[in-house]
Amino acid sequence: MSELARVFIFGDDVDTDTIAPGGYLHLPIEVQKKHCLESIYDGFSDAVKEGDIIVAGENFGNGSSREQAPLILKTLGIRAIFARSFSRLFFRNAINVGLYPGIIRGNYELKDGDEVQVDLLNHMILSAKSEILFIPPDGIALEIINSGGMVEYARKMLGKN
Amino acid sequence: MAGHLTSAEKIFSRVSGKDVTAGEFVWGGPDLVYMHDVLGPLTLETMKKINGENVNFRGKIVVINDHIYPPKDSTSANNIRYMSDFAVKEGWDLIPYGEGIEHTLLIENGTIREGMLVAGTDSHTVTAGAAGAMGVGLGSTDMAALLSVGKTWFKVPETILIRVRGNKNRYVVGKDLILKVMSILGTNGANYRCMEFRINPDSGMNRDDDLSIANMTVEAGAKTSIIFNEAHRVKDQSLKSDEGSAFTELDIDLTDMEPMIAFPYSPGNVAKVSDYAGTHIDQVYIGNCSNGTISDLREAAEILKGNRVKEGVKVIIVPATRNIYKQALREGIIEIFTEAGATVSPPTCGACAGLHMGVLARGEVCITNINRNFRGRMGDPDSRVYISNTYVAAASAVEGRITLPGE
Repeated sequence: MSELARVFIFGDDVDTDTIAPGGYLHLPIEVQKKHCLESIYDGFSDAVKEGDIIVAGENFGNGSSREQAPLILKTLGIRAIFARSFSRLFFRNAINVGLYPGIIRGNYELKDGDEVQVDLLNHMILSAKSEILFIPPDGIALEIINSGGMVEYARKMLGKN
Repeated sequence: MAGHLTSAEKIFSRVSGKDVTAGEFVWGGPDLVYMHDVLGPLTLETMKKINGENVNFRGKIVVINDHIYPPKDSTSANNIRYMSDFAVKEGWDLIPYGEGIEHTLLIENGTIREGMLVAGTDSHTVTAGAAGAMGVGLGSTDMAALLSVGKTWFKVPETILIRVRGNKNRYVVGKDLILKVMSILGTNGANYRCMEFRINPDSGMNRDDDLSIANMTVEAGAKTSIIFNEAHRVKDQSLKSDEGSAFTELDIDLTDMEPMIAFPYSPGNVAKVSDYAGTHIDQVYIGNCSNGTISDLREAAEILKGNRVKEGVKVIIVPATRNIYKQALREGIIEIFTEAGATVSPPTCGACAGLHMGVLARGEVCITNINRNFRGRMGDPDSRVYISNTYVAAASAVEGRITLPGE
């Protein structure tokens, strides 16, 4: 399973308040998503399209437990996030809402807007210039993401569908 | 059970019903869960998708409307109405309106007790470490699944043991200690781990300092925390990590520590307050789940008594709970604040998370004793927030610029 994806590049410590600003947190996701990452990437919510991916540095999603952060990214069309490392809560929330988080290994050469092939099965991202390996989720986290998220996983645990 | 276990391994072994060590995946139900008005509604909606409204969790469930309380608009009012009605219908514990901020309140009223594992829909659930418990933050879907299934999964965390030596200087408090630790670990040095503090009996750190320390462990990425402050021993000494169990160690000496500051836009950007002295400020915000305690209010009152806040500076003070507010009234502290020209807010998460009651305008600069200063955290993306202890925030309120007290 290898799909073409456009890349958005971010640095270290992209926090949950930047992804899902507090002032809109009580409003519907459709409203919140317009403000996603607006303070560091002007026009992000308009620019992103279904199937795009994010490639980022260390500690992606640090801060709050707000699940709205991965949920908004998924709603906007982001299908996977690859980072050097993830903050614990963001990683768990991403898994739960079915947004794939991969941990990048080694060096890579990518710039904003590049088109890459994402191969989740073989844990690699192929660009014109490099082959980037990533570590997939493991243990229970992998079982949950393979189920499509925590709602489906929990339903299975309860013997439903 | 095998000897030489860490504190986290002991608690997760009890909860999962088997002997486990760091790195293992386990299933278990916490002793207590709590949810609030911002992440709660999504929790309940997701719970309905999983299993209708059937709750299989058998521990204590608490609903507390503290984030946007009093409600700022009809949407936040509807969220609070929804949470409250659901709690009443299910027979869950509904905390009275305005009683306080969850992490502070549930320790103050004895709901969170020594040795417990608690889970909340909030990253600052780690504050439970101050009560000798372990708190873990969860997102809405995790909480929904926990309520529906009755248990959730955890990866048993590794432990960083932080030994605190020496005694603190006059204007140094728990906030400075945790900021010092942040300067060493950075914003993800404790990612996925438990931060266990051993604070010597003569440090000068009180129970409110413990709260402030535990609260900010999540800013270093910690999954959970636990504080053993020898000045007020936990009853159950067996909760501590055994000597010889698997932990990494960090030593902190309070002896020459000065008040610390975190500059924009990360709680990991730590320096000495003296490095930023003189910086112009537009707002001072005192009080949240980490530092809205009676100790913080006393510290602020000590500085503000007989003084006026600088003209043009907004000063907002938020007692974390109703009882703290009442105590401050009894001690004449609220009057000191009022005389000084500060605005006293009811307990709320408020502007600490950019929600309401004191958010910042474009370009404004705030000094505060809260826990996060991410870009846009307290309002406009072009505002700037410095984190310090309460003494420093209060002294800065009087001068209109970042100020070391006593100078």
